[in-house]
Amino acid sequence: MLSVNTVLAVCLGYVVLLFAVAFIVDRRTRTRRLGWLNSPVVYTLSISIYCTSWTFYGAVGSAARNGLEFVAIYLGPTLVFVGWWWCLRKLVRIGRAHRITSIADLISSRYGKSSSLAVLVTVIALIATTPYIALQLQSLTRSYQVIAGESDGVATAFWIAAGMALFTILFGTRNLDANERHQGVVAAIAVEAVVKLFALLAVGVFAAWSLADGFTDIFADVPAEVVVGAGEVFGARWVVLTFLSATAIICLPRQFQVTVVENIDERHLSTASWLFPLYLFGMTLFIMPIAIVGLKVMPAGANPDLFVLTLPLSAERHELALLAFLGGFSSATSMVIVATIAVSTMLSNHIVMPIALRVLAAGRAVSGDVRALLLVSRRVCIGVILGLGFLYFRLSGGSDALAAIGLIAFVGVAQFLPSLLGGIFWRGGTRTGAACGLLAGFALWAYTLFLPSFGGDVILSPEVLRDGPAGIAALRPQALLGLDGLDPLVHAVVWSVGVNALAFVVVSSLTRPGALERLQATVFVDVYRAAGGAPSSVLVGTAASEDLFLLARRILGDGFARSLFDEMAAAQGRSGGLPDPTDAVIGRLERELSGSIGAASAHALVNRIADRQSLGMTELIDIADESQQMIEAAHEFAEKSAELERTAVQLRAANERLRALDAQKDEFLGQLSHELRTPMTSIRSFSEILMDEEGVPDQERRRFVSIINEESQRLTRLLDELLDISRLEGGSIDLRLETIGVPEAIGKALDAIAGTTRDAGVTVTADPGRAGLRVESNPDRLRQVLINLLSNAVKYNPAPQPEIRVSVNENGSMVDIDVADNGGGVTHAEAAMIFEKFARGDRSDRSYGVGLGLPISRAIMRAMNGDLTVEFAPDGTSFFRIRMPRADP
Amino acid sequence: MTAPAEIGPASGKARDRSIALVVVGVVLLMPPLVGVSLVDGSIAGMPIPLVYVLVVWVGLIAAAAALARPLRSGETIDSSESANDATG
Repeated sequence: MLSVNTVLAVCLGYVVLLFAVAFIVDRRTRTRRLGWLNSPVVYTLSISIYCTSWTFYGAVGSAARNGLEFVAIYLGPTLVFVGWWWCLRKLVRIGRAHRITSIADLISSRYGKSSSLAVLVTVIALIATTPYIALQLQSLTRSYQVIAGESDGVATAFWIAAGMALFTILFGTRNLDANERHQGVVAAIAVEAVVKLFALLAVGVFAAWSLADGFTDIFADVPAEVVVGAGEVFGARWVVLTFLSATAIICLPRQFQVTVVENIDERHLSTASWLFPLYLFGMTLFIMPIAIVGLKVMPAGANPDLFVLTLPLSAERHELALLAFLGGFSSATSMVIVATIAVSTMLSNHIVMPIALRVLAAGRAVSGDVRALLLVSRRVCIGVILGLGFLYFRLSGGSDALAAIGLIAFVGVAQFLPSLLGGIFWRGGTRTGAACGLLAGFALWAYTLFLPSFGGDVILSPEVLRDGPAGIAALRPQALLGLDGLDPLVHAVVWSVGVNALAFVVVSSLTRPGALERLQATVFVDVYRAAGGAPSSVLVGTAASEDLFLLARRILGDGFARSLFDEMAAAQGRSGGLPDPTDAVIGRLERELSGSIGAASAHALVNRIADRQSLGMTELIDIADESQQMIEAAHEFAEKSAELERTAVQLRAANERLRALDAQKDEFLGQLSHELRTPMTSIRSFSEILMDEEGVPDQERRRFVSIINEESQRLTRLLDELLDISRLEGGSIDLRLETIGVPEAIGKALDAIAGTTRDAGVTVTADPGRAGLRVESNPDRLRQVLINLLSNAVKYNPAPQPEIRVSVNENGSMVDIDVADNGGGVTHAEAAMIFEKFARGDRSDRSYGVGLGLPISRAIMRAMNGDLTVEFAPDGTSFFRIRMPRADP
Repeated sequence: MTAPAEIGPASGKARDRSIALVVVGVVLLMPPLVGVSLVDGSIAGMPIPLVYVLVVWVGLIAAAAALARPLRSGETIDSSESANDATG
């Protein structure tokens, strides 16, 4: 036991030292002479506020009760820091680019600068932090009672809380610069970090080598249960504890404050990535030995939570006990100070200031000194938070229920994780999704873990805890929906974080983000692509520079505002005066302001100054959407007109063809009537002679009648042919194809025409092809075509010694029959029109035939999958070629 | 807007290695693998489960320190970013 005066004197001296450190560093910061303070080691040491008195005293207690389990609390942060590239670096980059002041600010900024989300996060943070602060007060009080023998715990706790409030107000609200950084405080907690590590190591060395004879001696006769705990040490609880601690190092408001907000240089993270785990390793190295030595040395029933203090005391090593007390004092105060700063920033920026601004400004542009208002609100918030902590401690009566509060707070802040990670890695997260996730997680956390932690004293009665509300067993807080048999902590984490993440993802995917949300999602997720952060809003109105300057001066302070505006004016190339209120200037100002009062408030203020002429992102996006739609419509229109043009061209072509066809048809009808008219005329005139004139001699009469007969036959033949060709071309005749021999077909055709050739004195040379050569064809029709060609060759051959040559060629899968004569053939021009109906070569006279033979022949051949063409020999003479598909052998 | 930050091959590798390190740490420290240390006996006077956890922990710290070194010697941290954004 030490005398009260000694303890108080040492404490006071220590506090004065901290004040001095903070004061000196603050002054050096303002004169920009940071020097060694701007080092990664200081940054790392400030992060060590993770190790609170809960670590300093409680870890030994936990090790004494549950063995190795306590290590998990330090493995999670180790994994997060070792993998800093993945998450921490992005958080720090976002925090710097968007002047983030707290975790509530980050989440609110990300989801469209939503003030309701900011309020929600702030409330959760406050509820989770208050008991945690109470826990620090409790351990401070207990350690003080142990070392000084003082009995009035409440008075002690009150003075401790008051002292910390004073320190926090003095150094936490000293300067409201654009970065919301507190170099003085950081330096002080770095000193405290060194003290607590040194103290714990000293006690550890003392326990291991003074009270025992090294590690071998300590663990010599220790049963395995003591080391690995009674239950399954590496089970679900181990996993959940690691997860929770990994989450806490990101989501605890105080950790966010030191890791993200107070970060001066991103490169410091790379040092912290190994130095902070090393610090944690140092803090935990002797926990297990101290616990075991304590269990061996101390009397049964001694509180293992205070072994760090009671071991040196029992050995009468007062200076070591005092060092241990200072270590515990450092752990508790640094946590309380930073947590209070972090939560009071949230409380002030997201709850107090918006209300105050609304009440004071009442619609007009900002009136009154916002800067003073902000400082007062911060200070009041700090007082309120510490007051709440003290009240909580007072009401809970310093009960043992507090001991579990560290983990309960971890689970509480773990509710931020889905919205936070979802916000910086997933563009799809929406404000509604985040709000639903946070609310569901928070409610489940309160129901399954926080309220039951009071053991049935607050809201939930012991009966409800045991049997569920109104006896509904499925709603038992610690066995929700019958999920029984789990550790209460594991149960609460599974339910609250699980439902939270699920709600966040599902609701986000079902809701559409607003314009500002979409913009913020992009700039947060792609923070590495846009250095400095994109301006969040573009003002079309004339936000007068004077007004903006006034606003900046009120919030940032005269000096900083002046240098900021000078800098921006210089950037615009102006030697003096205020910068033009360009988008860049306004965006920069909004970011700087958000460093002091949070993104949502800054956004609202700047917009208000801009005389409400701001063009919100919503409208901007709408405009963008609209022009996008117009571009699409124009594109569509262009496509349509191009299509129309194509159609018009096609129509013109079709029209040309129709005209040509029409002319052809007219010509055809003219030809046809001419062809019909000639025989009709002779029929009519001869029949008239026979009717009218008497005494026509019998011989004459017979001749006339035979002429009439011939002409009628010619008419009939003409009509038959017309009918035939129209059927062939229309495809309405199904020609039955057979396999026939080529030589036989040619032979029959030549036989049929033999009389004519003999009469005309034509020499026929036929090469009917090899025997067995067969084609797919209709024999009668093929004969018709051959006869037509041969008779033409006979009829229209003007040569004195007419000759006809028929030859057969096999041409792959086709067989050609060529019919040539020595009559000179046709010209190329004639060849083109020879197959038109009623067309005849020049050689022909009009005495016989009507010119349908060749068109019919061609139509027949085509209907039989073949063709009839005019070919030209190398010497320029022409011949007809019949082409037919060869029959498979 | 500023030009997109360059992608330095060295820092890209550093990021991949740091993420790999976390994966290794999780695998070694979480069940089921961590359970292999639950055997009786002691190393340097300490029970094997405790030694196992501490050794893995020190290994992680040493590896992280080794990964952080090239960054301190000159290379800017700004050289960023591709893969982990793409997943986001």
